[in-house]
Formats: sequence, structure tokens, C-alpha cells
Amino acid sequence: MGVDIGAHDTLPEASEHPVEYRRVYVWELPVRVYHWINAVALVTLCITGYLIGAPIRAFYAAEAYQQYWFGWVRFIHFFAAFVYLFNFAARIYWGFVGNKYAKWRSFFPLKPSQRQEMVDVFKADVLQVKLHGPISTGHNSVAGFIYFLTFLAFVAQSITGFALYSSMSTSWLPRMFVWIVPLMGGEFGVRFWHHLFLWFFVSFIIVHVYLAFYHDYIEGRGTISSIVGGWKFERENRDK
Amino acid sequence: MGLSIWQSMQQKGYSRRDFLQFCSAAAIVAGLKETGVAQVVSAFEKKEKPAVVWLHFQECTCCSESFIRASHPIVADALLDVLSLNYTETLMAASGFQAEKSLNDTIRDHKGKYIVLVEGAVPTGADGVYCMIGGKTAESILQTVAADAAAVVAWGSCASNGCVQAAKPNPTGATPIHKLVNKPVINVPGCPPIADVMMAVVTHLLVLGQLPALDSLGRPKEFYGRRVHDTCYRRPNYDAGLFVESFDDENARKGYCLYKMGCRGPVTYNACSVVKWNEGTSYPIQSGHGCIGCSEEGFWDNGPFYQHLPSFPGFGIESTADTIGTVVGVATLAGVAAHAVVTNVRKQKVIAEVHSEEHKEQ
Amino acid sequence: MARVVVDPVTRIEGHLRIEAVVENGVITDAYSAGTMVRGLEKILIGRDPRDAWAITERVCGVCTGIHALASVRAVEDALGIAVPPTAELIRNIMTGVLNVQDHVVHFYHLHALDWVDIISALKADPKKAAELASSYSKWDKNTASYFSAVQDKIKAFAASGLGIFANGYWGHPAYKLPPEVNLIGVAHYLDALEWQKEIVKVHAVFGGKNPHPNYLVGGVPCSINTDEVSAINSERLNLVARLIAQADEFINEVYIPDLLTIASFYKDWANYGGGLKNYLAYGEYPTRGYGQPESFKYARGAVLNRDLSTVHPVNPRDTQEIKEYIAHSWYSYEGGDNTGLHPWAGETKLNYTGPKPPFETLAGYEKYSFLKTPRWKENPMEVGPLARIIVSYAAGHADVKELVGQTLGKLNVPVGALFSTLGRTAARGIDAQLAMTWLKEFFGQLMERVKIHEVSTFNGERWEPKSWPADAEGVGLAEAPRGALAHYIKIHNGKIDNYQLVVPTTWNGSPRDVKLQRSAFEESLIGTPVAKLEEPVEILRTIHSFDPCLACSVH
Ligand code: HEM
Ligand code: HEM
Ligand code: NFV
Ligand code: SF4
Ligand code: SF4
Ligand code: F3S
Ligand SMILES: [Mg+2]
Repeated sequence: MGVDIGAHDTLPEASEHPVEYRRVYVWELPVRVYHWINAVALVTLCITGYLIGAPIRAFYAAEAYQQYWFGWVRFIHFFAAFVYLFNFAARIYWGFVGNKYAKWRSFFPLKPSQRQEMVDVFKADVLQVKLHGPISTGHNSVAGFIYFLTFLAFVAQSITGFALYSSMSTSWLPRMFVWIVPLMGGEFGVRFWHHLFLWFFVSFIIVHVYLAFYHDYIEGRGTISSIVGGWKFERENRDK
Repeated sequence: MGLSIWQSMQQKGYSRRDFLQFCSAAAIVAGLKETGVAQVVSAFEKKEKPAVVWLHFQECTCCSESFIRASHPIVADALLDVLSLNYTETLMAASGFQAEKSLNDTIRDHKGKYIVLVEGAVPTGADGVYCMIGGKTAESILQTVAADAAAVVAWGSCASNGCVQAAKPNPTGATPIHKLVNKPVINVPGCPPIADVMMAVVTHLLVLGQLPALDSLGRPKEFYGRRVHDTCYRRPNYDAGLFVESFDDENARKGYCLYKMGCRGPVTYNACSVVKWNEGTSYPIQSGHGCIGCSEEGFWDNGPFYQHLPSFPGFGIESTADTIGTVVGVATLAGVAAHAVVTNVRKQKVIAEVHSEEHKEQ
Repeated sequence: MARVVVDPVTRIEGHLRIEAVVENGVITDAYSAGTMVRGLEKILIGRDPRDAWAITERVCGVCTGIHALASVRAVEDALGIAVPPTAELIRNIMTGVLNVQDHVVHFYHLHALDWVDIISALKADPKKAAELASSYSKWDKNTASYFSAVQDKIKAFAASGLGIFANGYWGHPAYKLPPEVNLIGVAHYLDALEWQKEIVKVHAVFGGKNPHPNYLVGGVPCSINTDEVSAINSERLNLVARLIAQADEFINEVYIPDLLTIASFYKDWANYGGGLKNYLAYGEYPTRGYGQPESFKYARGAVLNRDLSTVHPVNPRDTQEIKEYIAHSWYSYEGGDNTGLHPWAGETKLNYTGPKPPFETLAGYEKYSFLKTPRWKENPMEVGPLARIIVSYAAGHADVKELVGQTLGKLNVPVGALFSTLGRTAARGIDAQLAMTWLKEFFGQLMERVKIHEVSTFNGERWEPKSWPADAEGVGLAEAPRGALAHYIKIHNGKIDNYQLVVPTTWNGSPRDVKLQRSAFEESLIGTPVAKLEEPVEILRTIHSFDPCLACSVH
């Protein structure tokens, strides 16, 4: 368990106690592939989405027939949207069949110990009153829960996105979302929420990427490389 | 009493050929194919001129005004030949007692067969006293008249979705018709609806004798199936990213897309960019102003009109999602940066802590 | 003593109830009640001032656009925005078109059936009608075959139930026209219905649609570019030119001749319906910017007691001049219901205290209408075409004087005849003719500006709320078809803090004030004879002569 900072005024020498590490295969290939496709798709969606909402003053010299850049921005947005949706669907599936770190239950703070962990992580990561919280091998329960919220935001954004898309498409997938529009008070309402969620994703990405580096730096367990290669480094005796 | 439309045309000296011509024009209006003409003719030959009642509640009467701008058929012909408009406060000769008589006679003599066109919303606040006609509340009149109607049409945004009087804070409890009557209502939104669309809805009902196909909001698909944006002639400019940046700038003078001036065309279902207004003369965008979304529910509360997204109340002037988003984004960045600085300042200690923790547990 | 109730008053805009007290066949007292309210003044609060034109435009679809104009003027006044001259011209054209169209629709479709007996038209000799019509008009449709076709139409129509003409007061002794004139009236009723949809295409050209064309704070939304297909170009201007020419013909060959012919049979109505003796006009059709009322085609001012020798200056900003009372209206004021408030300090708190519907009468109720009661220096004032003609006449505007003189000459009546039901209806015709003349003039000037490429239509200097002061107040005035219209706005931190409309029909149709002075509708009914209590066509004649608009008046 964590240790209060105040209790330690002298720093022990790390070398006095050699630690043995073992490699743990945490993120299976599908999770990693999912992660990076998702990262690329979301960044693309955020950038193109922002441009759709607030087109930049560009290429004004031309006549309409000479260019199609706004059309391309939208095309890329829609393309990325499909990539992102099916990728997400694959991750949902993997949540049932993947290893324990990928399983759905790791996203919910169902057990009291997980909830305790959330408090500890909060104290350690945000307040830094506990310098080091519990170290989960997979994502810790705060991260897990945030990812869960993020998944909900994915769902919401997909619904509003496809609801908007339904009015410009005749294919079955978007058409399934037609009924959303009147529920949200017309397309204006749908667009508004779709746009607002952009900022949730932007904030998430900032914090998430930062924390990935932070944990890597603080814990030295190869957090960053784990999402590339799948392996984390754990002390021998420690593998929850 | 009533003559069939064919008989009444005969009396006026129209030949059958004229009549067929009239029918095919009407059929085109109603969106029929050539083969449907026979059906129209028989409908006209058999039917008496249908009794129609036009009710007026919380309105600005622009729907009536729009209706009389119809060009095919022109409204004089419609009034004299197509329908028997027995009650409309705007145009009827009778007033007061005699006007009420016209209404009551129609309800009695054409029970179950007359058509009700409603212009305006119905205020339900303060027991309905915010709109009273002949000493009766709008709501009670609506209920009485709608009860035995063959069909109810809600003209304009007022009757279909409440329109301006229902905008926040809706001081009189203005309510659209479909929320008050227990039968299907054809919503013909728009502030006002396009004259020729109104006429076409009437002809569709009277010529085909059936309800036009409606969407989930009760609007005729014929005219509300597409967004203004989908058929806007400025659309190529939108796709090319050529936008008006300020009214009457160089781009405005070239007719670029009005998206950045707040145009609601991308979120508005209406026929403006195809049917256009005033016999095809123009429509808002063609004359340089963005669409304000006048046929969409709640469009008054989606302002300011010159912004692409609405303002957030309580966040000061001009707070759109983007300003709030930027603030959140910057705050997040700042928080992260602060956190990083703190972490680095205490770097040694932090790392040591982590390791000492591990020692202890070992 | 009998109490005659007319509710609904039809062939007007909106929900009006008239209760008249008739003694020995003459009206001795009258109550005018507006029975529908929407609370738009409350809805405006907290919104972007640049959107106010669209919201206030929905006050009325009959005088469509004029509230939008008053609104953008109010905002421009508050923020100190000067509108480019080209935009001003286009606005003038829009206003002129509105007045012309509205007056024609009023004359034929809202007012004519008070004077024209449709059933009697069936007895007319179409040939004689054609001869008569051709004697005073060059309108090429005035032929015997045309009139007989119309007659057949109406016959068939009458046989199939009368539709909108059912249950009219047909055959009432007050109808005085010979069958031929009735037939001409009916024929032109139909023609006017067809024509009115044409002239409003001018609104569609510059404002995108009609009803409810688009306006813009700082100018007009349409750009002019004669090198571009999707701007106001030579094709659009040609269309406007043609529509104006058509309108000119209709006004001068149909509307005015009909008006004069019909009026000549009803000269006794120059004795009834005069009502108030005070007239108020804000002036209209700026020619050198809205800041310079002395350059307006119509003068601003007030005439009191029908004294044409003096035009009193009117200052809408002076908090002592214009005030609204609610002593007899279904509202309450913070400071007590007997106070009067200048519109900048105006309040709109609904407070219905009338009978619970369904009810038979409003008699005996202190408050009886949703209209507030505006007063100018405590005086009840009549507004409308008659008022603006009287004020400009008294102010010595030559073109107005000349046309008034001509018209009175043709009718062979003295100037005093203007102060009556008949005079009000005639003044509307004069107003339409003047608007038509000026419309042509403005259009000519617009073409001149297009020629020299002076085509800026928008001043965007104060477009962004960032450029506005934290607090500002403004007033926007206009001559609506029905008269003097004022919008008052207070802006705080870029949002509307208060917005009050004082509308023509509010002046004319309001309940009495705290001193029990009647407003125009009520006062004008006093002394009017009513031949048949159950068919009070006389009440309609006088009330219709004001062209009431109740949606406007209450808002
Ligand atoms: C998940 C991340 C996504 C983000 C951050 C995002 C962001 C945005 C933004 C900011 C806009 C502009 C809205 C406006 O201001 O009017 C937009 C438009 C749009 N988005 Fe997304 N979006 C995402 C996902 C999706 C998905 C999954 C779809 C599904 C097809 C989608 C479809 C659309 C459509 C149809 C539009 C409107 C484009 C137009 O009308 O031209 N988006 N998006
Ligand atoms: C830019 C958009 C990104 C998004 C939307 C994103 C999203 C996510 C999501 C949803 C997860 C949970 C994965 C799962 O369990 O299925 C995750 C995990 C992870 N991501 Fe990202 N990620 C992004 C970028 C990055 C980057 C740039 C890095 C590192 C350089 C990174 C490092 C990680 C790591 C290390 C995990 C493992 C989680 C843990 O240990 O708690 N991510 N990311
Ligand atoms: N009264 C009034 Fe209006 C007019 N003319 C408004 O300003 O009618 Ni609708
Ligand atoms: S929908 Fe619009 S146009 Fe029709 S009555 Fe209502 S406010 Fe007027
Ligand atoms: S002007 Fe409006 S409707 Fe037309 S393309 Fe641009 S955004 Fe769409
Ligand atoms: S504002 Fe209304 S008129 Fe048409 S273009 Fe937009 S729906
Ligand atoms: Mg008011």
C-alpha cells in the first residue's frame, strides 16, 4: 500500500536493494492495434470536425469548381468515422474474449478494493500527497473508469455523428440513426451536442497522453512501450 | 347544396378539355405522375367542393398572407373553384354573430367531412384567456371544431411547433396543435410556409382525397424530406470551402456559401431551395441572408442567428461551444503543465518514494 | 339602450372585439378589446439585439417587414450605426412596396365588402359596367366579356354555397352602390387578389421571401453585383422595374378609380367616424439618412385639435412625451396601474382580470383589453395614413398637398371631409399613390448608384458585440401601413435588457386611459348610426377604415 510522503525524510539508496523485474504481457495485439487505430481516427475526427464547425479562411482565390477542399475535409471525417466505429466495435468484442487486462470488468469499480484504489490513485496522481499509489499491472481503476466514460462518449458521439450523417446518406448504417434527430430537437440540437463532445475528446487526449508519460516516468515500468509492444515490467512478486 | 368541382366548372362554361387541363395542373402540383390524372379527374367529378374551416389563434397571420400569394393555382381560383372556405377570420364577409354561424353551420352540415386548417398556436396558460374569440378560449374552439373534422392541417411553425410565442420563456403557454387534438395532424411548418407548398398540401388532400405521406414529425415528405442545404445552389461553394466572412464582403458579392454567417440550411428541412418563394422568385439564401431555420422546432431558441452554434446562457456574451471548449482545453493543458512542473520539482523525492515503497514490500 | 357585440371582428388581422352601446339607433359609447396576447416583449429579453428584427417581424405577417425595419433602426440608433445610402434606398423600396400591397389588400379584401354588395353584382349589366369602368380607367381588362365572365363565376359560386362570402350583410339598406359598380368591385376584388402576389416579389428579390423578408442591422442582406449571377444584378433589377411598373398601373388604373367611384356614392360617410381630433406621425422615407427627419418624404410631428396651422414637434426620446398606460388593460405595473411609463422604462406583466370564458360581455369590468394605452403628452392620438397625410399637409409638403387637393377635388368635398371614415379610406389611397410615386423615384436613384458602382449595402463597423458599449438605448421609428410605429430597446452587455413596441393599432385600438379619454376606435364610433342591431355593418365600416391589426397592437 501507499506511503505518506511525510513519513520519509531520508531517501534510501535504490541500489542497496536490487529489484528483479519480470515481463508481463498486458496488452494483446488486438488491443494495441485497436488503440492506435483509435488514436489516429480520433485525432483525425477532432481536427476535421473542428474544421467542419469553423472552416478556415483558405484558398479563396479559386472558383468553386476548381476545388473541393471542404468536401475532402468532410469526406475524411466520415471515412475516419467509419474506421473508428468498426474499430470500436472490435474492441467491444475483445472486451469479452481478451485477457484479464482487456476484460470489461476491469473498467468498472465494482469491488471495494477497486474503489479504494480510485481514492489512492487520486491522492497519488492528482494531489501528489501519496507519492505512489497502488500499481495495477493493467490500467488502474481510475484510468479504467475514465476509459469507460470515454467509451460512453464514443457511443454518444457515434450516435450523434451517424444521426447527422443519416440525412446525407442512403446506406443502411446511417439510416438506422434517423430517429435520433427529432428526439434531440432537430438537427440543430444534434449538431450542437456533437460539436460540444469534441472538447471532451480534446481534453481527454491531453490528459491521457500526459498521464501515460507521467506514469512511465514515475513508475519506470515501460508504460509507454507497453501500448506498442504489449509488455510491462513488474517486480517478481507483484502481479495482481 | 354543393356542386361537384366539375359541375361548377361546367356552369362557368369551362369545357371538359379545360377541365382536364386544370386537373393535370393540379396533379402536377400534387406531385402525381401522368398516370394518376384519371384518378384526379374522378375525384373532382364526384366530389362536392369540400368544406374547409380556417381557424386563427396565436398568430401573426403571415400564414394567411402567404397562402394568398399562391400562384398555382392562384388563390382566387382555389377559393372559388376548389374548396369552400366557410370560415376564415381574415377574409370572410361575415363578422361576429354571422361569422360564428358560418362556423357552426359547417360543423353541423359537414360532420366528419370538413377539413380544418389551423393557423397559430394555442395558449394553455391561465386557463386559455390569452386567446379568446367570441368570448370562448382558443382551446375550446379548437376542440369543438377538430372533433368532427376529416383532417386537421397545422399551418406554419406556430401551429406545428409553437413558433415565436413558444420561444423561451413562452409567457402564455403557447402549444402546437398536435399536442392538443386527438387525431393525426399534418404539420406544414415554416414561418410562414411557402405559398405554393400550402396550396399543394391542400390540393393533395382535396384532389387525392387522402393524407400526403408524412414523416415522423407529421410533415409531408413531399416538401420536408430534404434539407435546404441539400439542394442549395450555393452548395458547391460550401464543398469548395468558399465562405462569406462578413455581409456584403467580396465573397458575399460573389454569392459564396453563408455557412459562416450562421446559415441553418444544413439543419433545416424545407423546400425553399427547390420550390423557392413567391412563384420561384428567390429564397432567403439567394438574397444574401442565411437560413434562420424557420421550419424547425424551437428555431427561435437556437440563436443568435448569426452564429453557427448557440450561445451558452450564463457564460457571458458570445460564449459558444468553441469558446468554452477552448477554455476547457487550455485549462487542461495548463493543469497538465503545472502538474508536470510540480512533478519535476519533486522528481528525486517522487522517484525515491516509489522505489523505497518497493523495497519495503520486498 | 342596447349593447351590440361584434366578436370576432373579421376582415382584419387578429382578434378584436367591439362592444357598442346603441341608443335610438346611434352609438353612444364603445369598447374596443384585443383578446389575444403572445408576450413577445418578454421573449425578446436576453436575446441578441441583432436577432430582434426577426422576432419582432413575427409580430405581424400583414405589415410584414415594417417591424423588422423599426427594429434594425432601434439597434442602429442605440449603437450609432449609419446605414449606407444604397441600403437606405432598398429599405425605402421595401417599405413602399409593403404600403402599396397592404393598402390594396385592405381596400379590396378587408374593407370593400362593407360597401360592395356581392349579391347585387349578380343583377348588373356587364356591358354597362364595362362602359362605366372604361369611362374612368384605362385598365384593359374592363370589358363586357370580362365582367360577364366574372358574373358567371360568382353566380356559380353563389349556387354552390357562398364560401367566404356566406352570411354577409347582403341586401342591407346601407349598401348604396348600383349593381354595375358592385360588379366592378367584385371583379377587381379577384384581380387585386391576383395582383398583390406580384408586387411582393420585390420583397423576395431583396429580402428572399414574402411574407417575412430578411432585414439586417447595419444595412440590407443582399449584395449588389452586376458581374455575378447570384447577387442583385441586372436581371433582378429588371424584374423589380417590371413589378413596379405593373403596380403603378394597378394603383392608378384600378385601385384609385375604384376608390373614388365607390366613395362618391358614400359621401354621407364623410360625416361619421372622425373620432379623435389629434394626429401623430413619425415620418418616413428618409432621403439623407435616418438621422435627418427634415429630409423625410413624410413629415414627423403632431397635429392637435385638427388645427392644420401648427405641427407640433415630436421627440420620442423625451420621457414626458410618449407614455403607455394600463389602467384598463390586462397588465400590472410595479409602480401601480394608474401610472404611465415611457417605453424605455416599459413593463409587460400579464394580469388577466376579465370574466372567465366563455363570457357574454366585458361590460362592468375595469380592465377589458390586452392592448396598452399609449398617449402623447397625455393626448389620445390617431395614427395611420390619414395622420401622416394630415401632418405632412400641415407641414407644407408640396407633393402631399397637391395630391390631397386633387383627390378632394375629384370627390368634390372640402378638406374637412378627411376627418371621417370616408376620409380615412381615401387617405389610404392617397398614401398608396404617394408611395408609388416615391417608389419609382427611389428605384431610379438605386439604378443611378448601381451605374456608378456605389453599391455598398452593409456597414459592419459595429457588427461584433465586442465593439458595443456595455449599456445603450435606442429608438426605431417607422411609418407602418397602419401608422406610427416605435420600437424601444435597451441593451446591456450585448443582450437585450428591455424591448418595448408601441404600435399603430395600439394607439388606435387601445382601451380608454386613466382619465377615461377614449382612443381612436372607440371615439370614432360615437355618433355613428346603426340601422339594424343584428347587422351592424356601420360598425365594421368605421373600424375597418382604420385597418386594424390586433397581432401588432398587442404583440
Ligand atoms: C468521435 C469523435 C468525433 C468528433 C470529435 C467529431 C467532431 C465533429 C465536429 C466538431 C463537427 C462539426 C459540428 C459543427 O460545428 O457543426 C462534426 C461534424 C460532423 N460529424 Fe463528427 N465527430 C466525431 C465523430 C463522428 C462520427 C462517428 C460520425 C459518424 C458518421 C460523425 C459525423 C459527422 C457529421 C455527419 C458531421 C456534419 C458534417 C456536415 O454537415 O458537413 N462524426 N464532427
Ligand atoms: C490520441 C489519442 C489517444 C486515444 C484516444 C487513446 C485512448 C486510449 C484508450 C481508450 C485506452 C484504453 C485501452 C483499452 O484498454 O482498450 C488507452 C490506453 C493506453 N494508452 Fe492511449 N490513447 C491515445 C493516445 C495515446 C498515446 C499517444 C500514448 C502514449 C504515447 C498512449 C498510451 C496509452 C497507454 C500506455 C495505455 C494503457 C493504459 C493504461 O495502462 O492505463 N495513448 N488509450
Ligand atoms: N398596427 C400595425 Fe402593423 C401595421 N401597419 C405595425 O406596425 O399591422 Ni400588422
Ligand atoms: S408560423 Fe410564422 S408566419 Fe405563420 S402565423 Fe406563425 S409567426 Fe406568422
Ligand atoms: S448557404 Fe447555407 S444552405 Fe446553402 S450551401 Fe451554404 S450552408 Fe448550405
Ligand atoms: S429561414 Fe425559412 S424560409 Fe427557408 S431558407 Fe430557411 S427555411
Ligand atoms: Mg408594447
